Parts: sequence; C-alpha cells; structure tokens
Amino acid sequence: MSIDVEAYYRRYGPQVLRRCRFLLRDEEKAVDAMHDVFVQLLRYQGALKDAAPSSLLHRIATTVCLNKLRGAKRRPEDREDELVLQIASAEDTESRAAARGLLDRLFGRVPASSQDIAVLHLVDGMTLEETAREVGLSVSGVRKRLRALSAVLQELELEAA
Amino acid sequence: MTSPHRTPDWLLERIALGELPPGELAAARARLAEEPDGLARLAALEADSRATLETLPPARVAREVEARAARPDAARPFFRRSPAWGLVPALAVAALFVVLRPSGQVETGVAPGNGPEVTRIKGLAPRLVVHRQAAAARPERLADGAAAAAGDVVQVGYVAAGREYGVIVSLDGNGAVTLHAPEEGAQAMPLAPSGTHALPRAYELDDAPYFERFIFVSAHAPFDVAVVLAAAQALSGKPDASSAPLVLPGNLTQVSLTLEKQE
Repeated sequence: MSIDVEAYYRRYGPQVLRRCRFLLRDEEKAVDAMHDVFVQLLRYQGALKDAAPSSLLHRIATTVCLNKLRGAKRRPEDREDELVLQIASAEDTESRAAARGLLDRLFGRVPASSQDIAVLHLVDGMTLEETAREVGLSVSGVRKRLRALSAVLQELELEAA
Repeated sequence: MTSPHRTPDWLLERIALGELPPGELAAARARLAEEPDGLARLAALEADSRATLETLPPARVAREVEARAARPDAARPFFRRSPAWGLVPALAVAALFVVLRPSGQVETGVAPGNGPEVTRIKGLAPRLVVHRQAAAARPERLADGAAAAAGDVVQVGYVAAGREYGVIVSLDGNGAVTLHAPEEGAQAMPLAPSGTHALPRAYELDDAPYFERFIFVSAHAPFDVAVVLAAAQALSGKPDASSAPLVLPGNLTQVSLTLEKQE
C-alpha cells in the first residue's frame, strides 16, 4: 500500500496531534511526536494493510508517546496524566526492545504491548471488548496482557479500595 | 477516567472521521447528540482540526516527515530548552498586581539541524505560557485548569508561532476584563516571531472567585485592541466565560489558559 503522506496528514494529522498532546502535555513535544507517527507510516508503508487508519494511527501515536515518556521526568498534572506516567514507566518486558517491538506490533507481527492496552483501557476508557477489537486480541487476551502490568494494576486496585 | 455517560475522546475522533462500521457510527452519533455538550465537542474538535491544518500546513509537514524518514534514525531526540526566569518580588495593588521585570525576553531557540537541506518546522500553534512564582527558586509552569489562589504571582508569556501581532486579555469570575498586552495604544502589539516571550510585568491574582482566564489573540496583520476587548466584555459574566471562545473575526487566532481559583 502506497501512502501519500500529505493526504494522510490532511485527514488524520489533527487527530494524531490531539492524541500526542493528551499524552505528552507539551505542545512542542506533541508536534515532534506527531511527525514521528507519520514517519512510521511512511517508512513502513509496504507493510500497511490497515482498513481503518484512524484506529491504527491512534495506536501508533499512543506507542510513540509512551516510548517518549519512558524515563521522562514530569510532574503529573492530574490523575490521567499520573496514570499515563505510571503505565509508561511500568515494567513491561515486551516493550524493552521498543523500536523493534513498536514496528512489529504496529503491523501485526506480534500483539500490542501491555502498556498500549493499558492506556486504551484505563486512560481512554475503552471497554475490554473495545480494547480487544482495537488491538486484535480476544477479551481474555486483553485481560492477560493487563495482568502483565501488575504493579500499576495493584496500585489502581488499592486506590479503588 | 472517562465517564460512561460521555462519549470518550477516541470515539469522538472516529465519529468526526466517519471511521466506524455504519451501524455503530449512527448509534454513536445519536448518543453524542443526546449528550449536553456532545455536538459542541464535535464542533470544537472540527474547529481544532482546521486550526491545526492552518498552523501546520500539510505540504510543510509532509516535507518534514519525508526528511526525517530519509534519515537512518527515524526518532529524533527532543530539543530541550532551559527557561531562565527572573520574577521579582511583588508590590500590592487593587486587583491584578504589577511586577516589573528587567527583561521580557525569556528564551529563544532553534532546533539543532541535521544538515543544511533540512527545514526544521517550528511546529507550534500560538500559545500562552503561564508560570507561578514559587517558594522555591524555580517558577512553576501552570497548565490549563491548574489551581490558583488569590495572592499568587503569575508571569504570562506567549509563543507567537509566526503570528506577528497579538493582544493578551484576561477574564475573571467577577466578570472583570483586564488588558495585559499591549500596555498602551490602540493596536495589537508586534510579536516576537519565535521562542517564548514573557510580558514585561507579572501579576498578583486578586480574590475574584472561580477562575482567571488568560486569552491570547494573534494574527499575521495589525488589528485593533478594541475588537478583542469588545469580545471579552461580551463574554464576561456569562456562565461559559471560563471556557467559551471569544467571538472574533476569522483572521484572528485565539488560545486561552484558565486557572481555577481555590478558596
């Protein structure tokens, strides 16, 4: 599939930028990340077979931003921000090889990372079913992946108790 | 967390793009229309999309993306800045309290290039930058919606993102409108085109309740301060004064930052 970056950006760029703003809480970093999202599309267009680009770009933006947040020192500004940071910094062995893993996940060679799934479910408010559909897993698969981020989830359970 | 009674942002994006299965799209649109602010959120999202495409034109973004993709490492390290703030102690006045600063220039920067053929996009929409003088040496950057209180001394700055003229006003929970910049004259002030620039004076928040909202209006051509003041006066005192946009001519761009006042 060949990608016209300009046409893709015209249609999806604002959505991607809003997503990056939401996760990074910094306009300059968000714009930078937005460009990187489209770089991923351009460089790997040969592997792109997605019929719903908005869903794919939402995931790419989430993953790109989580990778940028990993190790970043920020002061959480609200609960959602804190949650994103917790998820981004949580131990997720699948995501350690971030660059290779990102591309593999984006193009379906391996399932989405637990961290991506956690953001979709815990921060974006997708139901387990919606999350499962978003990342191409079963609901039980999503539950299993969420358990991989046990530290974050335990903390959330303590907060909810 | 997202309220189950409110269409989440990710779904709002899909609705705007029409990228849902037909049945789901119709149902999602119907639910959105029943929500108190549903259609307004959709309209705001679409307006934001238009503003993004104006600020970051597709051709320019495509060039930047292609330039980055041509480099061996797609991910570029962030350009980091270190603002140097110099708020001075405050002196009380009746409402917003004025503090002189030795210099309005805070920071400018150019991202490090990766070769002469690369045109680095500044990539910023005009925005407000507000810091609160803290007990510690380093002022605290305040985000939209941050809590603030009477007595807080705040420094307002702007990023022009290429706009050439601007006006900064504020509205508060008492319905008062304050002109912050320009300090004099009937015309919008000339803006520094790049970097973050603080206004020459900082302000102490008074005891107005509920909120203090700063609005930065900018344009590529000169415009009258009176246009902005009239729009601010028209909005002040209304129930949605803390969030609604000013009604302005189409050539003017506006961005705002609201501080939530604590008792």
